[in-house]
Amino acid sequence: MMDAQRFEALADAHGGLIARWPAEVQDDAFAWLAQAPEAAQAVLTDALALDEALDVLRPPQPSAALRDAVLAAAPRQKQTWSLGRWLAGAGVGAALATASVAGVMIGTQVSTAPAEVSDEAVMSASTDDDWIVLPETESQS
Amino acid sequence: MTLKGDPDEALVARIGRGDQAAVQSLVARKLPRMLQLAQRMLNDAAEAEDVAQEVFVRAWKQATAWTPGAARFDTWLHRVALNLCYDRLRRRREYSMAEPPDQVDTGPAPDRGLLAADTGVRVTAALAALPDRQREAVVLCHYQDLGNIEAASLMGISVEALESLLSRGRRALRAALADLRE
Repeated sequence: MMDAQRFEALADAHGGLIARWPAEVQDDAFAWLAQAPEAAQAVLTDALALDEALDVLRPPQPSAALRDAVLAAAPRQKQTWSLGRWLAGAGVGAALATASVAGVMIGTQVSTAPAEVSDEAVMSASTDDDWIVLPETESQS
Repeated sequence: MTLKGDPDEALVARIGRGDQAAVQSLVARKLPRMLQLAQRMLNDAAEAEDVAQEVFVRAWKQATAWTPGAARFDTWLHRVALNLCYDRLRRRREYSMAEPPDQVDTGPAPDRGLLAADTGVRVTAALAALPDRQREAVVLCHYQDLGNIEAASLMGISVEALESLLSRGRRALRAALADLRE
């Protein structure tokens, strides 16, 4: 039941914008505002002055250092060996072994630079389906 | 406000699978929010950053085991942040029993513009002077924009008790800032 006393109590608690009051009282509050506009508006104006003073404090912006620290601790992709990747790796290994044998054979006649597997090639052999799963859990409250 | 539906549920599930875009999105959404909560509760920028960082350390762990339905993820984040804030407030009180209390920080802070500096200092001091539970109620409802049911649930009190805390807190703030309106 909305009356002047209840309207004032709600403004005291929730401020000068009826839209920010509990949803279940808003219809009654707007009806009261229409019924007693001058008195109700004075109550809202009074409460709104405090809202505006509180709003002088703007939300603090996180520093880049804080943002970086938070992101650095996040779960991230982990490079692990799956069967398919192992087979792919084995294939690369076999190819390298073959190349080594061939190199030894050819090396008796021709000097060659040592073969290397680039970081890029290793990365391209990986897939995206393995992720770190943190084992710790924390009870919800 | 009711507790139906969690707008963060899908995002948290993606984070649990290690989705880096989801991680970035949650940080963009929630880090300023957690920082503001801690800043308003503690009135100390460095401590607020420590709390916000710790909230996310726990959030990353929780994301892999999050069970939808028990609580909204945002509500859970608020609960963690508030617990961390109260730990620090408790430590301050224990320290102040042995040492003289620190002055309220009235120096410049990043969230105060030049024109509003005086008002900002006054509001900050008035908020800091409130009893913890009144400040918590005002911060949750005004600054964090939580509904009365969610805020009351977080504080473990009824909506009537929340309304009482809000009224007393806002009345004290209005009295402390009365001269600003003249």
